[in-house]
Order: sequence, then C-alpha cells, then structure tokens
Amino acid sequence: MARRRKFVPPVEAVDGGWRITLDVEERDLLIRLMGELEALLTGPEDNELLLRLFPKAYLDDEEKEAEYQRLMREELVASRLAAIESVKITLDPARTELLDEGETIAFMQSTNAIRLVLGSMLGITDDESADEVDASDTPEHHLYDFLSWILEWTVRSLSPS
Amino acid sequence: MPTTLEPVEVMDPDLDEASAVDRPWVVLVWNDPVNLMSYVTFVFQKLFGYSLEKATELMLDVHNKGRAVVASCGREEAEMHVFRLHEHSLWATMEHDGPTS
Repeated sequence: MARRRKFVPPVEAVDGGWRITLDVEERDLLIRLMGELEALLTGPEDNELLLRLFPKAYLDDEEKEAEYQRLMREELVASRLAAIESVKITLDPARTELLDEGETIAFMQSTNAIRLVLGSMLGITDDESADEVDASDTPEHHLYDFLSWILEWTVRSLSPS
Repeated sequence: MPTTLEPVEVMDPDLDEASAVDRPWVVLVWNDPVNLMSYVTFVFQKLFGYSLEKATELMLDVHNKGRAVVASCGREEAEMHVFRLHEHSLWATMEHDGPTS
C-alpha cells in the first residue's frame, strides 16, 4: 500500500479526462464519509461542525448577513449535496469511464469539505494546532492525512501544467 | 506645456455615481489552518482567472498577513464571488471598500 501510494497518484489527469486509482476499500471509505457529510448537511443547521462549511459573508453587518444567509444558504446546501451525489457515482468501483472536469472538481470540493469537518472535530483552529495534528498518531489523524494526500493530488491533476 | 487643451476635467456626476455603486465592495479571503496552500492557489486561479504567480501571491498574503483582497467589484458580483468561494470552503467575506471599513 505504502509503495503504491508513493508511485501512483490517487487521482491523475490522463488522455480524455481524469482517473481515480483508489482501491475498493478506499473508495468504500470515501463513499461512507460522503454519506456522513450528506447527513450532516441535511441535519440541524446549528451543528457546530457545519460552521466551517457555511462561513459568514458579512462580518460587520448583521442585517445584510441575515439576508445573505436567507437567500444563499439553501443554495449552498444544494450545491454541496449535488457535488456529493456526483462523487458517489464517480467512486463506484464498477464505474469504468473517466471523470470529466466537473466531476473531478466535485470530488475535490467534497473531499475538502470532509477535511474541514474533520479539522473541526480534531480541534484545528490555528496554524499551531495544525502542526500538532501533523505530529499526532490516531486513526482520525491518519484519515485527515489521507484526505490531504488525495486532495493534494487532485489539485495537482487539475492545475494547468 | 500645451495650451490648446481645454481644462474640461469636470467630473460627470452620473459616472461618479456609477463608479461609487459599481466598485465599492471588496471580497476578502481569511487565513485558515485547514485549507491546503496548493488548494487555495488553485481556487483563486479557477474562480478569478488569475495566473499561477498572482494566485500564489494572494495565497501567501492570506497565509502570512491573515487575509487578502481577492476581488473588488459591485455588491452583486461580490456576493457571487463569496458564494463560489464558500462552495470551495474558503473563508470569504465581503465589505465596503474605503476608510470606514
């Protein structure tokens, strides 16, 4: 596993699209996490784990902020759910087609959203605690690193060379 | 010094008003400890069409100075940028440009 990860990127740009090279177990894990994110997004709005996913738009104007959230929050939830749906389809081990750019971006956005929630759970609130996480050794930290690794390669695969 | 040019540097009030309405908002992105630097740079390139160099410079501003102005535009456009940045889970806000903010 370690060797494979070292040499084959989890996501790569190929002729005609993008390819996810994750194995079945890794796909299952991500699909499960996507389901958990979906449940979180459709659950109570005041869940603290959602704070990072729905930041304020106006820091200095409560009225405008309330109006913005009233108009846009639902749309942002819908956008996130649509991305998750797309990712579940693209991660299906039975799928053989390459991903298009939109699917790859949905994968990037959703993987990052899970990282943010996990970051909140791990108490990463500043650069210092982020460094502490780097040095930690629990299953959650490994998961966080795993998602970072996937994200890094996804970004790389999407970046113009 | 040429003297043939007439001093017609009078501000058109309509134009003045239009520019005050069109460009009084800035979109800010704030530093956060979770989003990867490469990811933030990529999102800036993708959403604003910035070059890698410009996007990297803005990302480093966010990282080192705590925040950076990534766009300056009208309110509606600023809200759209904020929304798209939120879709990418970046910590974006908008505020009036100027001495009062």
